[in-house]
Amino acid sequence: MSKQFSRRDFLKLAGVGAATTAILTGCGPASRLVRREPYLQMPEYTYNGLSTYYATTCRECAAGCGLVVRTSQGRAIKAEGNANNPLNLGKTCARGQATLQGLYNPNRVRGAIKHKRGDRLYDTAADPFNDEFPDAASNMDWDAATQVVAESLKNNKPEEIAFLMGMAPDHLFDLATDLANATGITAPVRFGALSMFESRATLNKAAQNLFGQSGLPFFDVGGAQVVFSFGANFLETWLSPVSYTRGFSALREGKTKLRGTFVQFEARMSSTAGKADEWVALRPGTEAMVALAIGRLAAESLGITTPKVFADVDPMDAASKSGIKLETLEHLAQMFANSNGALAIPGGAALGQSNGLAVAEAVLALNALAGNFGKPGGVFFSALAPNQTAYQQPASAQEMADFVQKMIDGKIKVLFVHGVNPVFELPAALNFMGATKSVSQIISFATFPDETAVEADYIFPDHHGLESWGYQRVATGSKESVLSGAQPVVTPFYDTRATADVLIAAAQLAGGKFASALPFKDEVEFLQSKIAPLMSESNGFFEAADINTFAAFFQQYGGWWKTIDGRNVPNGANALNRSISAAESKFAGDGKFFLVPFVSPTLAEAGANKPWLQELPDPTTTVMWNTWVEINPATADEMGLADNDVVQITSDAGVLELPVYRYPAIRPDTIAIPFGQGHTAYGRYAEKRGANPTDLIGQNYNEAGDLAFAGMKVKVEKTGRKQALSRLESLMGVYGVGLGEEH
Amino acid sequence: MIKRIFDWLKQPLGLIAVGIAFLALFSFAAYGISLTQTSPAQPIQFPHKTHVGLGIQCLYCHPGAAKGPSAGIPAQAKCWACHNQIQKTLDSQQPDTQFPLLKPLVASVKSQSRLQWVPVAQVPDFVQFNHRAHIAAGQNCENCHGDMSKQTVAENPQVFNMGFCLNCHKKVAGENHDLLVKLTDCATCHY
Repeated sequence: MSKQFSRRDFLKLAGVGAATTAILTGCGPASRLVRREPYLQMPEYTYNGLSTYYATTCRECAAGCGLVVRTSQGRAIKAEGNANNPLNLGKTCARGQATLQGLYNPNRVRGAIKHKRGDRLYDTAADPFNDEFPDAASNMDWDAATQVVAESLKNNKPEEIAFLMGMAPDHLFDLATDLANATGITAPVRFGALSMFESRATLNKAAQNLFGQSGLPFFDVGGAQVVFSFGANFLETWLSPVSYTRGFSALREGKTKLRGTFVQFEARMSSTAGKADEWVALRPGTEAMVALAIGRLAAESLGITTPKVFADVDPMDAASKSGIKLETLEHLAQMFANSNGALAIPGGAALGQSNGLAVAEAVLALNALAGNFGKPGGVFFSALAPNQTAYQQPASAQEMADFVQKMIDGKIKVLFVHGVNPVFELPAALNFMGATKSVSQIISFATFPDETAVEADYIFPDHHGLESWGYQRVATGSKESVLSGAQPVVTPFYDTRATADVLIAAAQLAGGKFASALPFKDEVEFLQSKIAPLMSESNGFFEAADINTFAAFFQQYGGWWKTIDGRNVPNGANALNRSISAAESKFAGDGKFFLVPFVSPTLAEAGANKPWLQELPDPTTTVMWNTWVEINPATADEMGLADNDVVQITSDAGVLELPVYRYPAIRPDTIAIPFGQGHTAYGRYAEKRGANPTDLIGQNYNEAGDLAFAGMKVKVEKTGRKQALSRLESLMGVYGVGLGEEH
Repeated sequence: MIKRIFDWLKQPLGLIAVGIAFLALFSFAAYGISLTQTSPAQPIQFPHKTHVGLGIQCLYCHPGAAKGPSAGIPAQAKCWACHNQIQKTLDSQQPDTQFPLLKPLVASVKSQSRLQWVPVAQVPDFVQFNHRAHIAAGQNCENCHGDMSKQTVAENPQVFNMGFCLNCHKKVAGENHDLLVKLTDCATCHY
């Protein structure tokens, strides 16, 4: 306060102002200027002012979390987790919350389109809230669309027809599989960038090698005392992040047991590593060696004979090659050995290397040493979903490369694409884009005008997930066997049509074996035929005598699950009795830096068209709306790089230009780039924003056929240009930038 | 500088100036607020008395009153279910129609556009009013909304303020002390 204007005067004036405001506004309604629109046709179960809640399943990733969506007057207004669903118990991640922005996205495909390949599907400058908005508008009706699908089924040899599908939804995959099995069409192929970055195939193969059984391992983080994670970013996007986050919170809470300890081994501190007690920044490629060395030291610390699997590794050598001090390795080994609940998790970038399979096996062998198979806090095989007899593994990158080769060889004449965006998600080196030229007809069922839809001849848009029927099998994350059910929470906004309905109608139209393969009236009848067998299964969450009642419960509760633990115990008898190579992985390219591409924890593979997610700061760097490259400040100083300096990154496979983020929590010999941006289509919020790191990834695979996406060495050169990154953190407050005291 | 202004304001002339300025501000604000409290025009001068006269129950068009907080406005499909069988309605499309009130209804049904009604009975946002409890307690619509058989566009027979609510709550509770406590508790309506 100044000398002339005292605090007392200020308070007096403020008091008078507040009192005047209170008197003038009174206690009436804020405004009488209110209009209310009634329904044109009100559903009988709806009442004005009362919300209606629907249980459904989240489609933002393939984990299969249950949602309960609040709707009012026929509009979805909030998505929350379904507390009944054993997988997520009422929680969601940020992407689940943002699913509404997919529903209301201004750049959705609004009807069936015949399209010239490469033509733009929308105009970013047009006003999306104008009803006359012409973008991605329909130019054909659904009868004609069904006719197109029917003819492509009928007029081609079955083996020349292929389905490329996403990781969700499962019911559509089942429908396509049934169609393929009955008619000789090539079995549908499933793929997703998340499964590629999760290295699912490697995990599955390692489990098969060690335990002699195929399946997706389940790691009971919540019940453990000490958790060692080798690259598994399970608090971000890995496998089933909501469920693993809940497990992590149980690990930490320490109410019923001691607070658990968590150690993360990776070259770049991810936001998962940011939650760890210790972050071990090992040199990329030495994960197998380090895991084996810890195993050997732990066995020595326990005073038992060194198991065969750990016998060949030299801890001194491992320490010097990985850049971790021997004392640190010894201390970690003792921590692991002396805990009565140790758990080791392999995943992510650690497996995405040329020796990824050895890494996965070595880390699983640590669990064998801890003897935690089938025990609380240990390793299990995930429960198979109710209507499933074996774990369905998505295609590995190697299998996708084979698929692309089939396209190039002209063995695929008609390609149906649903739920996946291969032009964006597959590394450019696999040349999916080039292969499309050898396919005479591409039909996309995309809800959004994505890069693959731009390359399609027809776009027959599916409803958004919140407008759709369906189910999703929970592949991992819950003890129980879970089938998560989906139902429409709103009537479709646009002239879209369920892909299952299109395929059923087209099969009927095509007649013959196609019609008898899908003898259903519509999608709902198909779904009921798939869930009907569950009525006779025991230990269900609910029971019903007839299918209509059962289906009604299925909708009401958001799926069906068992009430008993359905996980299997791996047979680890021989896990310690084999040899695993401790050799370092091989890196493609002769650059100076290891490249670690990681999935953006906020955007993942398909979140870039949702402004909430774009605006959500990255948990470690707080950068929004863009892609950056993380470089250690020491390295950056050597190269004369400041924040926001654009650098050129060159690998064997490609070149990218990106602004620098000086990130202290990364090894000086490593750089990291988030995956999720760099779209050339996919709507106004995603397009022309950032860059796609898969452009840098070459065709290198590990023994399990997964992409060795973290197995590249790249060159980094300064360009002299600058591009400002928008970020939440204050450069001045955190780093003293602009105060003359940068630190 | 500020001290000089304050000194000047304390003189008689200054005080008068402050008074005038305050009055001007007050009137302007009062006018602005009265504007917000004036309802816009209804899309149709809806004749409630005609409908009530035909023996249609309130809850037929406003079933939400018995089910939840809001009585609701009928969906156009409900209007049309009866009106499409009424010759007057169909005739209203003639240029020399005697029934101009029906024109907007037909137009909106045909174009599938929504009529934008203006709510008449409103309470402030900090009041949690629920119709259902009142209907369940045996109150009739006219106790609050007046006799609709005599009104065209609904009008409030009284101001819906706290005194109105409490008068009735006290009367209903009578000598029943427990009920009186419940019905006059702040949190019954303000939560």
